[in-house]
Amino acid sequence: MNSKRIPMIASITLMLVLLPKNVFAMHIMEGFLPPVWCISWGVLTIPFLAYGLYSLRKITIEFPKLKLLLAMAGAFVFVLSSLKIPSVTGSCSHPTGTGLGAILFGPAIMSVLGVIVLLFQAILLAHGGLTTLGANTFSMAVVGPFVAYAVYIIVLKTKGSRSLAVFLAAALGDLATYITTAFQLAFAFPDPTGGVMASTVKFMSIFAVTQIPLAISEGILTVIIFNAIMNYLKDDEFQSLKIFSKEALR
Amino acid sequence: MINIDKYAYASKLHQKNSIEKIAFAFITLCVCLWANSILPSLVILLVMTWVSVRKGGIPLPFFLKLLLLPMSFLILGVLMIAFQISNDPQQFVLSVPVFGTFLGFSKAGMETAVRLFFRALGAVSCLYYLSLNTPMVDLLSALRKLKCPKLLVELMSLIYRFIFILTETTETMVTAQNSRLGYSGLKAGYHSLGALAATLFIRAYKRSDQIYTAMEARGYDGDIIVLEEAVPYSWKGFLPAVLLNAFLIVSVLLARQYLGGLL
Repeated sequence: MNSKRIPMIASITLMLVLLPKNVFAMHIMEGFLPPVWCISWGVLTIPFLAYGLYSLRKITIEFPKLKLLLAMAGAFVFVLSSLKIPSVTGSCSHPTGTGLGAILFGPAIMSVLGVIVLLFQAILLAHGGLTTLGANTFSMAVVGPFVAYAVYIIVLKTKGSRSLAVFLAAALGDLATYITTAFQLAFAFPDPTGGVMASTVKFMSIFAVTQIPLAISEGILTVIIFNAIMNYLKDDEFQSLKIFSKEALR
Repeated sequence: MINIDKYAYASKLHQKNSIEKIAFAFITLCVCLWANSILPSLVILLVMTWVSVRKGGIPLPFFLKLLLLPMSFLILGVLMIAFQISNDPQQFVLSVPVFGTFLGFSKAGMETAVRLFFRALGAVSCLYYLSLNTPMVDLLSALRKLKCPKLLVELMSLIYRFIFILTETTETMVTAQNSRLGYSGLKAGYHSLGALAATLFIRAYKRSDQIYTAMEARGYDGDIIVLEEAVPYSWKGFLPAVLLNAFLIVSVLLARQYLGGLL
């Protein structure tokens, strides 16, 4: 027994120490999910996308100019997610930008932008996948933005400061994304002895190590970005942004 | 960063009808997921690599480098699946006792993990075949033909164009910040990245305003109508997809019937 134990412990330790921190980034790779789950998550995502497209169509018919602004916002999220967050350990991680987008444009529209960004990331950056697009969209472009938006509104309603609201929205939105991804993986690959819950614990334990610091840094970053944008928003030039979320940007 | 995009335009297969290519990649991808076994996945991996490299002219080292990209996710994910917790050490091939229970790898868990590893590699190669040989513009026009919602496709084509504008702006700004030691420390790094993203957003906003004005001046009324290069498609073009997948499906079914086991 002892002779087996040492290499095992050594290899697990090495695995945790040596692998770059962003390995378990939130996108599930192509081919990782069984067909049943690819389809189920895809079907689950469709109502949100349909609603997002519906509200998008309404807005763009009224204000045709906003179509271009939204396209720019989508490109902005794509480019933002390719930037590196500076971190202490020298590992590299990327912001998701979903929290910021949800606050600025509302969660429904963000889910449409999110699915486009995820598709482009799969095709242009080989990050994510086509069959896992449904699952990734559900965790990153549905759960993330909706949680972020809800947190933002709740904190503002309870008279919290705007910075706190933005920080919590971005950080918790990120965490919600990771937790959803962990559940998605656990449902697809339940532990033979412990079932789905044991499997969730397994996947969650990797996320806890790598993604909690990441969520916090995304929160800080989003506050910095949001405050800078708000300074500009006082200008009349940027009024049309307020059409999206009259509630949030008052 | 957008290397894949460059190869797609330079690919020798880029003249081929995009719906044929989508069918080839996507049907094979589905078969790979369905089969969920080692040999078919390896066959798919080899076929996709061969088609991309020999027919498409994608350099082999680049293709292999792309295959290595998701490797850390794959290895960690597969290990997590193989890895189990149980009170009974008998079922494990290899285990360690931790706090009264046992952590280890069982035979069934390892089998799932190995199948998954090859399935994911095969699937990824299908995705790479598609993205390395089909420029985004062709993919979007194919989506239009496949009756994807118009607004969605239009938004996609706008976003695709804007990505390059914003990437260029970002690169300029990052160079400027770096040359002023903007990322020298953690605090400076956050400050710089925040400033970068905020400025980028403002620039994007203004840019979209200007582009709208320019487009309106040229008669934009909500639709972007472009002339597309007509690539004729024939039933012959679907032949490779049908043949490869029929072969795979039949051999997987036969193998399941007569051999069972890992294959």
